[in-house]
Amino acid sequence: MSEEVIKLPEEKVRYRDLIINGIVAENTIFKLAISLCPAIAVTNSLRNGFLMGIAVLFVQTMVNITVAAFRRFIHPRIRLPIFMLIISGWVSVADMTMAAFAREAYKQMGLYIQLIVAFASILARAEMFASKNRIAPSMFDGIGMGLGFLFALVVISFFRELLGRGSLWGLQIIPTKPLLIMILPAGGFLAVGILMAFFNWIDARYLKKRTVHH
Amino acid sequence: MTPKDIIKITINLVIIYIIGGLILAGVYAKTSPVIYQKNEQEKQEALKKMAPEAEAIDKLGDWYPHEKHAEYYVVKKGGDTAGYIIQTFGKGYSSYINILVATDKDLKIEKIEILSHAETPGLGDEIEKPSFKEQFKGKDPEHVRLVKTETTEYIQAITGVTISSRAVTEDGVRRALEFLKGQLLSPQTGNRARHEGGSHE
Repeated sequence: MSEEVIKLPEEKVRYRDLIINGIVAENTIFKLAISLCPAIAVTNSLRNGFLMGIAVLFVQTMVNITVAAFRRFIHPRIRLPIFMLIISGWVSVADMTMAAFAREAYKQMGLYIQLIVAFASILARAEMFASKNRIAPSMFDGIGMGLGFLFALVVISFFRELLGRGSLWGLQIIPTKPLLIMILPAGGFLAVGILMAFFNWIDARYLKKRTVHH
Repeated sequence: MTPKDIIKITINLVIIYIIGGLILAGVYAKTSPVIYQKNEQEKQEALKKMAPEAEAIDKLGDWYPHEKHAEYYVVKKGGDTAGYIIQTFGKGYSSYINILVATDKDLKIEKIEILSHAETPGLGDEIEKPSFKEQFKGKDPEHVRLVKTETTEYIQAITGVTISSRAVTEDGVRRALEFLKGQLLSPQTGNRARHEGGSHE
C-alpha cells in the first residue's frame, strides 16, 4: 500500500477531478498496481470483467461513504478491523439482497460479489482517502476508483477473451481460439503486464503534464 | 497506551461490531425466507424442465453424495414409470457442483442440468455450456466416462477445465446413476429409500 495521500484543500476539491484521478492518474490496476489478483482471476471473458467491475464500483462507493460518515467515531488504532467490518457488511448486504430480489443478476454476478471482501483496493481507498475526507469527496473518489477498476477490467478482459476464445461477450467473432493461453492464469499475467506497460508508455509520452503529481 | 485507552478502544470496537451484526441480522431476516422460497420454486421449475412431458414427478427418496442432501424422483406418464430424475453433487475444483440428471426408465440419460456451483468464473463455469451438457444425452452409465480426446462414445472434457468436467461426469453423474441402479435392483437395502409399489417391476 503506498503512502501517497491526495492532499487537496477540501473547498477546492473538484469532484470531476476526483473521478478522473481514479480512472487515469491513480488507476487501481495500471498505476497503483493493487488488486491484481482479481484483475487476473476474473478477466478471462468480457462479461465477467464487466460484472466484476460493476460490483466493485458499488461496494467501493458505499464503503467510502460509510467510512467517511463514521470517521470521527473510529478510533485510529482499530480502524482496519472496522474498515473490514464495513467492507464485509456491504458485500454481505449486496449478496443477500441480490439473492433475494434480483435472481437473474445474482446468477450472473453471485460468484463475484463475495470475492470483493478480499480486495486490497477497497481497503486502500478507505484508508488513504475516505478516512480523511468528508462524505461527498469520498463518494466521488469511490466512484472514480470504481470506474477506473471497471475500465481496467473491461480493457484486460476484452483482449483476453478476443485472443483466448475468439469471442466477445460470448459471441464468436473469430472461428478459432487464437491463443488459448490468454484465458488461463498465465495469460492474465501477460495481459496485465503488457497493458500496464502500454498505459505507462502513453502516460510518459503524451499525458505527462496532465498527471497529478504528489 | 494507558488502561483507559484500552477500555476506550475495546468499547469502540464492541459497539461498532454489534451495530454491524445487528444490521446484517436484519438484512438476513428479511432476505432469507425470500431466498429459500425462490430456491424451492426454481427447484420445482427445474424438475419440470427436466421432464417436460411428465404427468407427475414423485419423490422416491433421499441420498447423501458427499454428505449433502439430495433427492431422487420417478417420472410418470400415463400411470407408468417413464424415467427418473436424480439430484447429485460432484466435487469440483473449488466447490460442490449441484447437478440434476434425468433418465429414461432404462437409466439412459435424457439430459443433465447444472443447478449451482462456485467453480472458477470464466473457466470452470464452462460446464454450464450446452455443448458440454448435450454430450450426456443417450449415454448409459457405462459410457459416462471422461476422456480428453475427441469422442462421441464417451464424454469429452472441456479444454483447461478437466477437474470440473470430471467432477460433473464421474463424481456427479456416474455415481448418481450407479446409486440409482443399486436402488432399483434392491430398493429395500437403500438408505431411506421408499419403495414405490410395483411401479418399476
